[in-house]
Amino acid sequence: MLKLNPQRKKEFLELMARRGWDLLLFYGDTWRKDHFRCLVSVCFSGPQALAVLTKEGEVRAVVTHPWDVEPVKSATGGSVTYAPRLLEGLKSTLRDVGKAVVAINGLEQMEARFLRAVKDACGGSAASATADVEEIRRVKTQEELEWIKKAAQLADRGYEQFVRVARAGMTEYELVAEVEGFVKAHGAEDNFMLVASGGTEVTAMKPPTARKLQVGDSVITELTPQINGYYAQICRTLVIGPPSEKQLESYAIFSEAQKAAEDLLRPGVDISDVARVQNDVFRKHGYGEYTGAQYTRVRGHNLGLYPDEFPHVLENVHYTCKKDMVVIAHPNTYLPLSGYMVFGDTLLVTDTGCVSLNQTERRLFQA
Amino acid sequence: MKRGLVSWDKGELPPEELAARLAVVHAIVRNKGIDAFVLYSDVWRSNDARYLSNYMPYWNRAFIVVPRDEKPILLCALSPRVYPWIKTVTVHETIVASPSPPATLFKLAAERGWKRVGVCDLEGLPADLHAELTGGKLELVDVARRELRAAPSEVEVQMHARAARMAREVLEKELSTGGAQTTDHELTGRLERLLRRAGAEDVVILVSNGRGPPLPASGAAVGPLTSVVVAIEYNGHWAKVTRNVAGVTASLPASGGVTELREILSGPYSWESVDDAVTPAVVSLQLEIPAQNQHLYYGDTCLQGKAGLRIL
Repeated sequence: MLKLNPQRKKEFLELMARRGWDLLLFYGDTWRKDHFRCLVSVCFSGPQALAVLTKEGEVRAVVTHPWDVEPVKSATGGSVTYAPRLLEGLKSTLRDVGKAVVAINGLEQMEARFLRAVKDACGGSAASATADVEEIRRVKTQEELEWIKKAAQLADRGYEQFVRVARAGMTEYELVAEVEGFVKAHGAEDNFMLVASGGTEVTAMKPPTARKLQVGDSVITELTPQINGYYAQICRTLVIGPPSEKQLESYAIFSEAQKAAEDLLRPGVDISDVARVQNDVFRKHGYGEYTGAQYTRVRGHNLGLYPDEFPHVLENVHYTCKKDMVVIAHPNTYLPLSGYMVFGDTLLVTDTGCVSLNQTERRLFQA
Repeated sequence: MKRGLVSWDKGELPPEELAARLAVVHAIVRNKGIDAFVLYSDVWRSNDARYLSNYMPYWNRAFIVVPRDEKPILLCALSPRVYPWIKTVTVHETIVASPSPPATLFKLAAERGWKRVGVCDLEGLPADLHAELTGGKLELVDVARRELRAAPSEVEVQMHARAARMAREVLEKELSTGGAQTTDHELTGRLERLLRRAGAEDVVILVSNGRGPPLPASGAAVGPLTSVVVAIEYNGHWAKVTRNVAGVTASLPASGGVTELREILSGPYSWESVDDAVTPAVVSLQLEIPAQNQHLYYGDTCLQGKAGLRIL
């Protein structure tokens, strides 16, 4: 298992050379560890962690929890400073830098006081590297793809467990607990999971509530296990008891929309068209109004070290897809037929199209 | 993200308690001569928002805005489709969809004629929001976090104690009934399942094999030198409990090579390292105990006061 990805490091050094940056900082906090982990693949425990990549290729790090020192040192082979307060660690690590051209991956998430400390230490300015680094991260390395494939397999098994345990009378949070326990027992490091249950009153997914599942409910989930930092996702809908005609009609529309996206996705395609072909299916069936922001968020998104990476699959987002990107296409939205419904697979963009990394059957499930 | 049960049990957290917290903010607003008070929140910097309004940003960013003598307003980047649910678990009656919370704040300020706005830990804002906010026309007043919540109330202490009991009971039972015949993945899965079924809002589990610090499970066999750290969030209140398979404990003051780590559990990031000068506070105390040239870990959730530590 690579802890310091040499291919990524090489790409980041090339980026630094192109942009004229002397230092590239990778700032992660508990929410956005991915900004750090794209260079140093350690799931840190402290509130923040920061890695400094010099143009000569040296990696130094600052961690804010003593338990992070050893794994980060082992990963980078460079110096690691433990500072309970990142501000002090930053000042110490950058003390001798002098005037330097600095860029920060994750600058936007960085506390303003940390950014000020970087600027003070390095001569007054710091650029955001977030978009450039995201562009590099978007196309996955072969090793990253292996982790994502494992995560997709675990998503499939997690959904099997979801179907196995869901039953009338169970609360939403008990259902999530069963699935969470399962994916953790089978190697998930983390899991992004939304859920909802009910009928046409359900307009969105959210964390689970104490609502008890009832016969006739649509039970919807986005299940997104993380393996060695990398996420894969599956979206499916399950009905408690026999599905109604309207639930079946609704599912058929979602299935058709997802297939349209999968049929289109390939290198060179504009991501906006991947959204458009999904929305066109809803329009064709007379549900065009349910493709807007009032009823839905996105028609999919990129996946990787963060479960909701850019580009989002939206008609007003333009991005030319590339081989080895990993995208979930999910036409998830509200329809008056049976409420909010979800359906989607993790798709790997290949030379000529895309393949689904999920093996779960494509159907409206029943419990 | 938070994917456990997010709820508001008004028996545990009475509306009067939240009203008293809001009254403190209203007093800050009046005393500082500001028009409104702003609090930042995101999925992992959620403690302050939860403290003030019981809002749990299970994902995304938000501002809580408290106008002078009014109820708090939530400026939220989440979809309006989840606002009805948010209203059932918080005090918020007014929620404004805000892809950019600063932009919505400026709009609110213009509508209401606000000139001076207080921001809780202004320099702690994410840099993009800080730049947007300081680039506007409002006069911003930095309000120290300790002015908002100087010391944990009895209600808070009881909630942390409840979380600690949940973690302690589940962890001790699992380690005593077969935890040693399994992998750390399987043990983690069992703990997650039990804790989330018991109503945990969030769970983070780390495991040490005795040779290194506690880390996320790696699939290794659980052995006699295994220690397990369970951090659990119960209705917005964290607890952290650590036990080891060997059943070794330690006490304070640390001696015999035992090293000690204290983390504040109700700070902006949930477990920042603290020194013992920070009192009173609910803290996690983690002890590293030498054993057979390796290390065991033991820890619990404590109330740190002038008289010392009391396990909750």
